[in-house]
Amino acid sequence: MFAMFNEGALSGLKVVELTDQVAGSFCARLLGDAGADVVKIEPPDGDRHRRNGPFPGGVPDPECSGLFLYLNSNKRGLSLNIEAPDGWAAFLNLVAAADFLVLGQESLEIERLGLRRERLSDSNPGLIVTAITPFGLSGPNSAYLGDELIAISAGGMAYATPGIPDGVRDPASEPPLRSNTHMAGYLAGVQGAVASVASLMSRTIQGTGCEIDLSMQEAVAAVMPFELAHASYHQAKPRKPGIFGVMPNTYLPCKDGYVVVMAIMEAHWRNLMDLAGNPDWSGLEVFSSAVERARNWDALEPLLLEWTMDHTGAEIAQLAQDRGIPCFPAYTVGQMVDSAHVTERGFMFDLTGPGGQKFKLPGYPVRMERTPWRLSRPAPRLGEHTSEVLTEWLGYSADQLLSVETR
Amino acid sequence: MTTLPLQGVRVADFGQIIAIPHTAQMLAWLGAEVILIETEQRLTTRIWPPFAEAEPGVNRSGGFNLVNSSKMSCTLNLREPEGMALARRIISVSDVVLENYSSGAMERMGLGYEAVREIRPDVVYLSLGAFGRTGPMKDLVGFHSVINLFSGLASVTGHKGSHPRIMGGLFPDAFSGSYCMLALLEALHHRAKTGEGQYIEVAMTEALATILPEAVMEYTLDGTEPERVGNNHKDKCPHNVFRCQGDENWVAISVENDAQFQALAQTANNPGWAKDPRFATAEARLQHRDELDRLVQQWTQELQVWDVVESLQGAKVPAGPVLDSAQVLADPHMVERGFVRSPDHPEVGPRPMGGFAWGVDGGPIGEPRGAPLLGEHNRKVLQDLLQVPDDEYERLTASGVIG
Repeated sequence: MFAMFNEGALSGLKVVELTDQVAGSFCARLLGDAGADVVKIEPPDGDRHRRNGPFPGGVPDPECSGLFLYLNSNKRGLSLNIEAPDGWAAFLNLVAAADFLVLGQESLEIERLGLRRERLSDSNPGLIVTAITPFGLSGPNSAYLGDELIAISAGGMAYATPGIPDGVRDPASEPPLRSNTHMAGYLAGVQGAVASVASLMSRTIQGTGCEIDLSMQEAVAAVMPFELAHASYHQAKPRKPGIFGVMPNTYLPCKDGYVVVMAIMEAHWRNLMDLAGNPDWSGLEVFSSAVERARNWDALEPLLLEWTMDHTGAEIAQLAQDRGIPCFPAYTVGQMVDSAHVTERGFMFDLTGPGGQKFKLPGYPVRMERTPWRLSRPAPRLGEHTSEVLTEWLGYSADQLLSVETR
Repeated sequence: MTTLPLQGVRVADFGQIIAIPHTAQMLAWLGAEVILIETEQRLTTRIWPPFAEAEPGVNRSGGFNLVNSSKMSCTLNLREPEGMALARRIISVSDVVLENYSSGAMERMGLGYEAVREIRPDVVYLSLGAFGRTGPMKDLVGFHSVINLFSGLASVTGHKGSHPRIMGGLFPDAFSGSYCMLALLEALHHRAKTGEGQYIEVAMTEALATILPEAVMEYTLDGTEPERVGNNHKDKCPHNVFRCQGDENWVAISVENDAQFQALAQTANNPGWAKDPRFATAEARLQHRDELDRLVQQWTQELQVWDVVESLQGAKVPAGPVLDSAQVLADPHMVERGFVRSPDHPEVGPRPMGGFAWGVDGGPIGEPRGAPLLGEHNRKVLQDLLQVPDDEYERLTASGVIG
């Protein structure tokens, strides 16, 4: 019913999703967000994220894990044992009827299950297979196992953290760091959706589908153009402040926490010095350009600190932003969620748990005039649409449904 | 992808610094003809380090060249009415307009969506703002650091008991840019079906918040703010980076279950770990995390990074090297896969850079061209495309409109 009202850019297209990873689930959700008819295949005991939480009221419940609800809205859900003959046959039939198959597994698992496109495309030459794996389907390390931490590390981001404009004071005591999120998974998920739609446009021109081989390691490496530029053009950057080569672009303590101060454009620097009361040192030759200020950062930092330590982060941000200088204090997640900005833009959406608990999840960061995002349906309950989809997509009879569902 | 999907699509790129330039570069890699509109009057990344061999020059910046490959450069002074008129003529023959100035800047120049639609009714027009184009903070300016701090991402990044940290790389730019790419491809697909263009608005802060569903849910349920946990994981242990031989060499190890832990213990020649009641189950390992991390590091610190990775992967334990950016570009695996590209450039020669994180049917996408020299394609754009006559072109160059 819901789908009839969705006029997203991808409406009319069919997607089969087989994954228990963030990247593949998010990729397929984004295709559903754009109006495609997405069916998620889960094993009989359910996707692993059903067990992840967080749970409303703290009580584990596979039907209301926050991560699962988030990753799987705008999809229908099927429960199939694809390692049993009837389940495998149903899966192959669904794939034969689909425009996209989204996979997110280790590459060895894709090989073991027989999910390479060459084995699936005879009955469906237009099929686009989007395979998201830790290290890709090809190359010397393609069989490696991986996860979020491994991707962030092998893609170069952990070493580069803390990044511009932050830096470690004592590299010996501060090891490379990841963020406590599924950052690599979301990155790979969005890039997987980009690759999928790009391949759809190619299919329109050339008539056949293709196999997309997306590596999580490379999804991470691709977000570091400046770090890669340093290595490519001069020398790899050490893990310390000032690495950007222009200053101030830095993360400084202030009266009540931390604040980013960025004034690498000359107009910004002059405005910043105005704010600081144009101290005598502001006119010194050693601080006369962004590059000079980076070169003499050890001298400049304590002088700037005298000013930042006199103000709260909010004061500095207000004063600086009023003059167009990009400064901001460190927010908590709560400060972001509660901000008037997020509220007025209506970014978060509201959900209610089984015990009436109210909570929010992030919405969609893109507003499209003609093909707007809609939350057309909540994440499916386990197996909620098994018979509905097998009947609708494949015309399964009651007997066929029974044999799929009981094996 | 034998046929690049965006062949025949022309893009007017008004991108600033990284986020939109990087997005437009991806469009160019997919076959679009991207015209970067810049001006000698206001250069940014072109005059920022890193420069090839540390020698400054407007065509020598890696920061510019690695996010502007495969584009054309046309220099126009948009403060001059004639420069603006030429920009409008470029737009009138473009399918896509991209911008990430501060809010309202395009409108003040007369290049806002409504104005552009008058000259190009089916345009796909995308605005990316640090905070978006509506809301009380729309006029705030910010680069990746500000976005990191506002979104709360920095607050979930950091060592235990220490302050918020900013992730390496330019995640806010590249991630919001990936959402922009997705929206643009969807809009172009929609336009191919229906003939209608549209306006797209993206907020970098919101793009970042889309990776924080658990933290948003917990905060809105009961006010709980996430703690910083370093490299620890709530369910997996060991899950950390460990020192190896040499200076600043690290290996990442992530153990998800008992079988992997037993394999780790065997590989480390310490089968006793798996029988030790402190480490026998995932729950016990999480309780004795620091002790276990110390033991694992005692093993790894005597070894080379790749020896640890290969022996653990051979035993089916997830492990990976902690690579720095030079190691990323030299990694034999990523080089063989075609992620690392080295387009030639007339002034700095071929330089390695990262391409798409994905290939199609066993090969990388297209063949990137080096970034344009400043104003390299002025004649191609203004004379071949817009048919500006020779004498007019010379006059506009002499008066600084072109340049």
